[in-house]
Amino acid sequence: MKGTNLGEFEELVLLIVLILQKEAYVLKIREEVLDQIGRSVAMGALHSTLSRLEKKGFLESVMEGATQERGGRRKRIYELTALGKTVLKDANQQRQMLWNQVPDYALKFIYV
Amino acid sequence: MSKGETYYSSISLRLIRWLCRKELQEEIEGNLLEFRLELRQSEIRFSRMKYWFQVLNYLRPSTLKKFNHSKRGNMFNFNPIFTIRSLFKQGVSSLINILGFALGLVCVLFLYFHIQSEISYDDFHQDKDQIYRAIRIADPDGERSKVGVSSGPYAQALLNDFPNSIKSAVRAMPSDVLVTFENKSFIEEQIILADSNFFSFFSYPLIRGNRNQVLNGTNNVVLGKEAAYRYFGDEDPIGKIIKIDNQTDYMVTGVMDEFPSHSHLEFSMVININVLNLGGWWNNGLITYVKIETPEEANYVNSQLTNFMNKYFGDDFEAGDFRMDLELEALGDVHFNNDIMFDFAAHGNKNTIYILGAVGLAILLIACFNYVNLSIAQSFRRAKEIAVRKVLGGEKTRLILQFLGESITILLFATGIAVGLAILLNPTFNNYFELDVRFDWLDPNLLIFGGILLVTTLLIAGLYPALLLSSFDALKVLKGSKVSSGKNSIIRKSLVVLQFFISIFMISATLLISQQMSYVQQKDLGFDKEAIVLIDINNGTIRSKIDVFKKSFEDEPDIISFTSVGGEPGGFHDITLLTLPESPDNHRINIGWGDEDYFETFGVNMVAGRSFEQNLESDRQQTAVLNLKAVEMLGFTPEEVLEKKVTVWNNELRVIGVSDNYNFSSLKQELEPLIIVNGLRHRRFAIKINASKLSAAMETISKSWDEFSPDYPMQYEFLDESIARLYESEAKQSRVFSAFSTISIFLACMGVFGLATYTARQRQKELGIRKVLGATANQIINLLSKEFILLILIASILATPVAWYFIDSWLNEFAYQISISGNWLVFAISTLAVGIIAFVTIGLKTYRAAVSNPTESIRYE
Repeated sequence: MKGTNLGEFEELVLLIVLILQKEAYVLKIREEVLDQIGRSVAMGALHSTLSRLEKKGFLESVMEGATQERGGRRKRIYELTALGKTVLKDANQQRQMLWNQVPDYALKFIYV
Repeated sequence: MSKGETYYSSISLRLIRWLCRKELQEEIEGNLLEFRLELRQSEIRFSRMKYWFQVLNYLRPSTLKKFNHSKRGNMFNFNPIFTIRSLFKQGVSSLINILGFALGLVCVLFLYFHIQSEISYDDFHQDKDQIYRAIRIADPDGERSKVGVSSGPYAQALLNDFPNSIKSAVRAMPSDVLVTFENKSFIEEQIILADSNFFSFFSYPLIRGNRNQVLNGTNNVVLGKEAAYRYFGDEDPIGKIIKIDNQTDYMVTGVMDEFPSHSHLEFSMVININVLNLGGWWNNGLITYVKIETPEEANYVNSQLTNFMNKYFGDDFEAGDFRMDLELEALGDVHFNNDIMFDFAAHGNKNTIYILGAVGLAILLIACFNYVNLSIAQSFRRAKEIAVRKVLGGEKTRLILQFLGESITILLFATGIAVGLAILLNPTFNNYFELDVRFDWLDPNLLIFGGILLVTTLLIAGLYPALLLSSFDALKVLKGSKVSSGKNSIIRKSLVVLQFFISIFMISATLLISQQMSYVQQKDLGFDKEAIVLIDINNGTIRSKIDVFKKSFEDEPDIISFTSVGGEPGGFHDITLLTLPESPDNHRINIGWGDEDYFETFGVNMVAGRSFEQNLESDRQQTAVLNLKAVEMLGFTPEEVLEKKVTVWNNELRVIGVSDNYNFSSLKQELEPLIIVNGLRHRRFAIKINASKLSAAMETISKSWDEFSPDYPMQYEFLDESIARLYESEAKQSRVFSAFSTISIFLACMGVFGLATYTARQRQKELGIRKVLGATANQIINLLSKEFILLILIASILATPVAWYFIDSWLNEFAYQISISGNWLVFAISTLAVGIIAFVTIGLKTYRAAVSNPTESIRYE
């Protein structure tokens, strides 16, 4: 196991899984990443990220929700584990902590 | 859901099912199906591509099934890792193996596409099986000759007489004109004057204009894409007005696309034939095509054509005491019927096709044998690996599958390289062989052919060693005993003999063919072909000023002599009948026209009498010079024939001289009787210039031309070039042979290399012992090379008569040929060359075995 650190994209995916709740399966996550973040990711790539997160113990998945459009095939719905939620929260806190230390003026002058 | 949609999604799902892990299949398939549905509803462009991108993107390590070798019941018995490892381990030899096979395939691909394009002439016409061409069979003095041109009335008469069979007819007349648009003017050498239904009769592709209407107006013109670009650039050509021959305006009404395949008629422009006065039945100059729906009907029409000709020509036949017949020739036969004269068609040579096909097949055989040989030789290196696998419980079927899998990988890899190389090298090939070969990878025949080829090679190269190796006794192999079977080496040796056979055949054919070609080029033709410029008399202006034009060169120091001719040596000569006043016999004779400087310009000697003279008004159009052969035919001596009267084409001519024989036609024909008439039917100027001041002389000529004929560009060529063109197809064949014989030798050497490798390995221990007992490296090399002498000798004995027979029939095309028995050394040289090359190859390999430390090879038991 590669350890429990959280990559930037992994963090995004975890958040989106949280947002989507019962609809958190690869296709929808892909759409969400595309719509909200503007990043086009292949389902295959997303799948490998998701299964990596599963391996790290941040996610769990169940198969359910077969529909007509899917030719009667079930979805793999992802859900955050307790560890996943903690790690996500920690990451957010760390960010916040760092943000709080940034002096106000440091961001004011942006020369574009 | 449309059928196509289900189809492509089912392929993708099958792919997923095949390659992805079982537990992921349901989810992935569901996602893909849903994704596709969304794509379809939103109607995004490239949706199919986007879908496939997602499918292929799903194939990644995290989703793929594991190539787990030890798992039972898994379909992946084949582990690609082993293939890659063993390929790298055998480095150079596997590279040679793959590249050699690829090289062979490249040649085969190129030849295949070339042959394909030759046999697919005119394939793009919709009713190509219903189109026939009317051929006249003329009969001058018993020698039947087929003539492609007919006259204007035929088409309508055929339509009238066979209303039930002949559905439509079209006339086409190739010509050349001067085309002007604004300040651009070009001589269009390939234009067609045709009936207005030309484009609905044939299916030449149009990108602009309506097929049924483009030629309706007399002043309409249809241009080829390339020609339109030449005149108008990127502007829209439709409606533009061009001027033809500086007289008539034509409006562009259509543009043709590039033809999908070759056509017997090549043209850049079509105008309506009605602008011409086509004249009567005897004004032959155009080609008549008819459309008949079934072959039975066509046979019926063919059988009635004798009556047809009698109906329209009966009186002429009676009056002239001769006859002429008509015949329908299917469009599909046009390209290879090269005995038809004056038909403006690009003819192919069936022999060349057969030869190329045979060469392709030979190379293919060599490449495959090589591959088989090298694969078998290499597979023995892995005997130990196999033994270990067997000991550890590897099943036989699995071992076989592993080997087959490796062969497939290598073959596919080699095929990929071959296709890449073929595309890369195509321009070079085309350039070198002067061909225009286009690749069409979707050609179904190619796919079938390629499939069969790969499967057969695979079966021989893969299955055989797979079966052989997997049946080894593991214990023996591990102990280090010999692993081979006698049968095996016989097969491999006969493959090598066959390769040597092909190589020796190719080398001797190449040598003899190039001997013949240089003989043809160097043979004294009886006239002077160096530094003579031929200029077409391509317009009326210059024709009316021939004498003045000629005079303008009189004082030029670089112009040695000037003559206007109708039929220069090596060029086209009419054939006609000659009669003597005292006898009714007709004599077949070639006829040409020249003026007083004809014989001087071409350096032909007079045997008796004199040449034409400028100042004798009595010479003009009333005198003729015969060649010796003609005098012989008439049964005179050169002195007797002088001042005799002969009649040609109803003109009575006085013979004033006899010229030496010279080969006025190609060396493929025997020397024939010839009469040169002092007359005005001139088609070209022939100008002998000072060879050392070539460019100055050319400048003088073109300056004078511009003065006399400013509107028309000067079209010229050199006599030696025009003569070389007579042997174009032979020169091509010669080039093909030399190129491909090099390749075949190269490939055959690789085969020998493989065999030598194998032998050296087999006899490793024996060689070690010999060395210990005092054998030198040379002795060992000799020992190993000895068996190849026998193989080469057998191949040579087999190849010599075959090559002899082949070259003999090839040389039969030529009336003047080298003798093969006089060149028997060629066969010895070929054998020797193959032998030497083989020895060097073997030497390279066996040297290592010979100098190796004997303890290395005999240490193990």
